[in-house]
Amino acid sequence: MTGAALALSVRGLTKRFGTTVALDNANFDLRAGTVHALLGENGAGKTTMMRVAFGMLRPDAGSLEVNGTVRRWRSSADAIAAGIGMVHQHFLLVPAMTVAENVSLGDRGFFRGFDPRAAADRVRRIGAATGLVLDPAARAADLPVGAQQRLEIVKALARDAKILILDEPTAVLSPSESGELYAWLRSFAAREGAVVLITHKVREALAVADEVTVLRRGRAVLSGSSKTLDEAAIIAAMLGGAISTDKQDSTAKKVPGAPLISLQHVSVTDERGVRLLRDVSMEVRAGEIVGIAGVEGSGQRELLRVLAGRLAPDAGEARIPARVGFVPEDRLRDALIPTMSLVENLALKEAGSQHGTMRWEDYSTRAETAVREHDVRTSGVESPARALSGGNQQKFVLGRELEGSPAALIAENPTRGLDIRAAVHILDELRSARASGVAVVVYSSDLDEVLTLADRMIVCFDGRASATPVDAAAVARAMLGLAS
Amino acid sequence: MSGGATAAFLESGMRFATPLAYAALGELVVERAGVINIGLEGAIIGGAFGALVFAGAGSVALGFVGAAAAGTLVATLFAFFVVTLRTDQIITGTALSMLGLGLTGTLYRTIYGSSGASLHTPTISPVAVPVLSAIPIVGPALFDQPVVTYALYAIVPLLACWFYRSSAGLALRAVGEHPEAALGAGISPARVQWAAILFGGAMGGIAGGTLVLAQVGTFAEGMSAGRGFIAIAIVVLGRWSPLGVAVAAVVFGAASALQTLAQATGWSMPYQLPLAFPYLLTLVLLATARARTAAPSALGKRLP
Repeated sequence: MTGAALALSVRGLTKRFGTTVALDNANFDLRAGTVHALLGENGAGKTTMMRVAFGMLRPDAGSLEVNGTVRRWRSSADAIAAGIGMVHQHFLLVPAMTVAENVSLGDRGFFRGFDPRAAADRVRRIGAATGLVLDPAARAADLPVGAQQRLEIVKALARDAKILILDEPTAVLSPSESGELYAWLRSFAAREGAVVLITHKVREALAVADEVTVLRRGRAVLSGSSKTLDEAAIIAAMLGGAISTDKQDSTAKKVPGAPLISLQHVSVTDERGVRLLRDVSMEVRAGEIVGIAGVEGSGQRELLRVLAGRLAPDAGEARIPARVGFVPEDRLRDALIPTMSLVENLALKEAGSQHGTMRWEDYSTRAETAVREHDVRTSGVESPARALSGGNQQKFVLGRELEGSPAALIAENPTRGLDIRAAVHILDELRSARASGVAVVVYSSDLDEVLTLADRMIVCFDGRASATPVDAAAVARAMLGLAS
Repeated sequence: MSGGATAAFLESGMRFATPLAYAALGELVVERAGVINIGLEGAIIGGAFGALVFAGAGSVALGFVGAAAAGTLVATLFAFFVVTLRTDQIITGTALSMLGLGLTGTLYRTIYGSSGASLHTPTISPVAVPVLSAIPIVGPALFDQPVVTYALYAIVPLLACWFYRSSAGLALRAVGEHPEAALGAGISPARVQWAAILFGGAMGGIAGGTLVLAQVGTFAEGMSAGRGFIAIAIVVLGRWSPLGVAVAAVVFGAASALQTLAQATGWSMPYQLPLAFPYLLTLVLLATARARTAAPSALGKRLP
């Protein structure tokens, strides 16, 4: 493939946010007809680089060439006009609008008409030509996540995109959906275009991409054909070679202790009358990690909240210890108040059950202890939570929830959005909590991750929870509702 | 009520509804772009004052131009703060309402002196549409009105058409629902909101102009009398659709007419009661989930 014309070329790109350097003289070449994986840990600058290429951010230095011509974008409208399309990690769809309306969004011209029928025809036409079939009249909010992603791609194709940039496209997809997407991207690249795939999944990148570029701390540190690079070399480049990715369990498995959490025939029904949990019975013992798996929307979200004592069941009996730590999935929405300091965020833990005046010195000391013990990198306990990186926020949340020796700890996708180094640290923390006798429950959408952690597995499907062997094949079957 | 009294009641209801409809349709466009302009009251009173100044210098037509210009001026200030500086919409809007009321009062006294109450502007008279105005009961209400009311008959369908059948309308709704998505599609949410706010200001100004040039024939301090806030309630009651807003404006107009009717006929009930009714209706509607979900998702939120 070498020698093919460059569809997109980025030279010497630098981008600063305040004092943070997101991109530092970075280069990137995308050849026509190829799929190019852009790899790196969180914060390496992958998304920033592509947002500059898409005109959403202005670079502080550097140049951009599309099909051999130097270009400067005033906004993403210019990039779109030049044939670049981007599918963002968090989809940019208007939920209340139909598929056809979402696709027509951004058509130019103040007095240009919007004809729903023509817009629907366009969606059908693109579907017929590319295999990305969608119902034009469906509301975006009602589409399953895989279809939402198809819609994002169709939006780009409707603007004649020849260069497609996808930011972590498989983060929300099932393995079979990912496979389909990759096959489609390969055929798109071969047919007429070029694809940039932002990802941190090395194995997937090597399987699907023709070429690979690794970013680290805003610089391109490795670039080459996927045929000549191997997994170890790429991981070393991503991490700077200083980390052990050894996932071996260091805490010896002991016999679990007494049951601390016990659910008997628990059911949960939401306000619309939909049964989210059906007749779930399970227990969690001291000193074990129970892994939870399930396809999005199978009831695991509610199960975790019942286990954490955050949600009262409508039927059945839930015996929950008084002190349960809970690490919710969306830390900036559900676990931390971003503008409040770490001390205040720690004090919030007990805000509901405290009376009288606040003893800030105590909370300060406790926050400092949590920061020290859990290796939270911060300029001080008075800095606001939002000033911390994602990994340090999560370490702080975990530290807060483990403070005061809780009987149990419930963690929902605890490594979501974290880079490998921070993720490894979080997993180690969960293991050491188990070693100290805490009853630990972990849900992760990354199946490999739960399987390496768990002593026992429980799989949710259609609101039911069933015990499953700690084995990838068995868990995958159970997640799809197939009898093992 | 006799047929004649009913016709008179409906006719006066439409008269009350006209300025409300202008203000509310303008606010509707602003809210569909995700901005709530509590400063509408300021645009209305500004428009009323602009109408006085310009109509005094020329004609009624010039008065309406002055009204729209004054309303736009107030909206420019609002847009600069809210869109460009990203200030809080509610606080900025409240400040502008107060500023509009205070500034017009001060200017009025400075320019016309405290005896200005006797100042009169030319007004437009109702134009009866032949044949249609002779329809019993509803004829006079719908077809014996000033031209500004007739203009609404065109504005409402045009607005509906623009919302749902034009690219720009689609962009406007997208900005109100999900500005990030609009940005990703190459639309500038800030530009869309600026345009929407200026349009809303012009419509608010015309509402104030209507009060002066089609109804009262003079300016009085604070004559907007809370119509800006009523218009915001009308947008809610009309569930953010052009036709719904038009109907809701008529409901509020009729309530005002009922109030005057009650006063004139010496009913024993408190005359404020009819005026409270549409607000109750708005509250009841807000209590239902359907009304809440009809609101643009990004309404009142700062742009990213």
